[in-house]
Amino acid sequence: MKHIINPYENINDSGRNISDCPPVVLPEEIFFTISIFGVLENLIVLLAVIKNKNLQIPMYFFICSLAISDMMGSLYKILENILIMLRNMGYLKPRGNFETTADDIMDSMFILSLLGSIFSLSVIAADRYITIFHALQYHSIMTIRRTAVILATIWTFCTGSGVTMVVFSHHIPTVLTFTSLFPLMLLFILGLYVHMFLLARSHARNISILPRANMKGAITLTILLGVFIFCWAPFVFHVLLMTFCPNNPYCICYMSLFQVNGMLIMCNAVIDPFIYAFRSPELRDAFKKMIFCNRNQWNY
Amino acid sequence: MSVQKLISNRTSQQSASNSDYTWEYEYYEIGPVSFEGLKANKYSIVIGFWVGLAVFVIFMFFVLTLLTKTGAPHQDNAESSEKRFRMNSFVSDFGRPLEPDKLFSRQGNEESRSLFHCYINEVDHLDRPKSCHQTTALDNDVHFQEAPRSSGRPEEELSRLMKFELPNFINTDQNSFGDDDLLISDPPILENKPVFQTPHKDLD
Repeated sequence: MKHIINPYENINDSGRNISDCPPVVLPEEIFFTISIFGVLENLIVLLAVIKNKNLQIPMYFFICSLAISDMMGSLYKILENILIMLRNMGYLKPRGNFETTADDIMDSMFILSLLGSIFSLSVIAADRYITIFHALQYHSIMTIRRTAVILATIWTFCTGSGVTMVVFSHHIPTVLTFTSLFPLMLLFILGLYVHMFLLARSHARNISILPRANMKGAITLTILLGVFIFCWAPFVFHVLLMTFCPNNPYCICYMSLFQVNGMLIMCNAVIDPFIYAFRSPELRDAFKKMIFCNRNQWNY
Repeated sequence: MSVQKLISNRTSQQSASNSDYTWEYEYYEIGPVSFEGLKANKYSIVIGFWVGLAVFVIFMFFVLTLLTKTGAPHQDNAESSEKRFRMNSFVSDFGRPLEPDKLFSRQGNEESRSLFHCYINEVDHLDRPKSCHQTTALDNDVHFQEAPRSSGRPEEELSRLMKFELPNFINTDQNSFGDDDLLISDPPILENKPVFQTPHKDLD
């Protein structure tokens, strides 16, 4: 995505006075480390759900979908780093056919992982909402078949959007669609969780739970939504600025932090398993069982 | 931007091919940008953006904590009170004593009552409640957690035996599973399978 989003990496042109806000360059090792962590964690989540029959319920399928999209985002970063290294070592031409195609495929993968992440988070929130507000009909509302249909629809839509956005990447409606998805999803998720929170709070009052429990609820909700906002908003804002004010010096200074914003998205892939998947005690137990079973096998 | 791309692609080919450290095949010529005469700090958008983001998140947190202290406007909504009633019917006998006529006077209390008795059976036997699966669509992993109120009350022992886990937000100090609470762990774990998966968690 670098060629689309960050045109300022090549600053050898003396006609432009960009030195006042040079692009912040992070060492590739940081990206590599974060991405590898992201891939490993999400792989663990996937393996734990695949290997345990009792975790094969709609809720964990949605968490798996989130893990897959995070894994794809981290894989994209790793592949991009490898290609950059090959390019720097001189094995790749800057404008060859292979490089162009590879770049397009990687961009699609990136957008696919972005959209997949956003939609998975929304679907997880919706699933929790149905669990609370339609608890007794949950089984009939959220069958395995419906879960599969929902996930298939989401991923087909994300793949189609990813390809479309890469093909039409420099048109304004594409950018507007992409950047408007983020606040819409945020509002949707915020609304669902706040409503759930209100119900739990009113129930807490009825059974006189300590107010500390409600404080914990507020903290949890803030963490869930705060991580989402902090990791995604900078990048989305970058895309907006790049489309609408590429020549403004203020905007240029913001866009010089592109690599930091990209790193935040990688961090989101690393943090998500901890706030969604590993919070579930069953998944933690399945994970421990997996580790100890493997250890027992190796001991023999 | 596409117009600029057409103009600049030809001129940029030579300069871009000299770069050793960038990975790009299209170079968007943006034109000379002058940094002279800026009224504010050049990083003002960056600072403004991050400050705005932090303020928004903190504001959201304070709104949530305020909601924990004050009442919610929809509290008297019939729908929410019915949900509350459903949840209350599970814990009523093990929490504060609720009026028995209120417990059974509403519509739809049949189902609540059957679920309620499932939990009573669960307490009595402290083993897998097989009888509940036929009576209710809701799996027995829906459990509610409640703080034992005070020592020395007769319900206290029952509540200790039977740990309810409230779906998301409510947690108590005697929480048996440590730090998973609230939205973090699952909402009432409604499984498709009739097998009671994790009894140890509820019944300790």
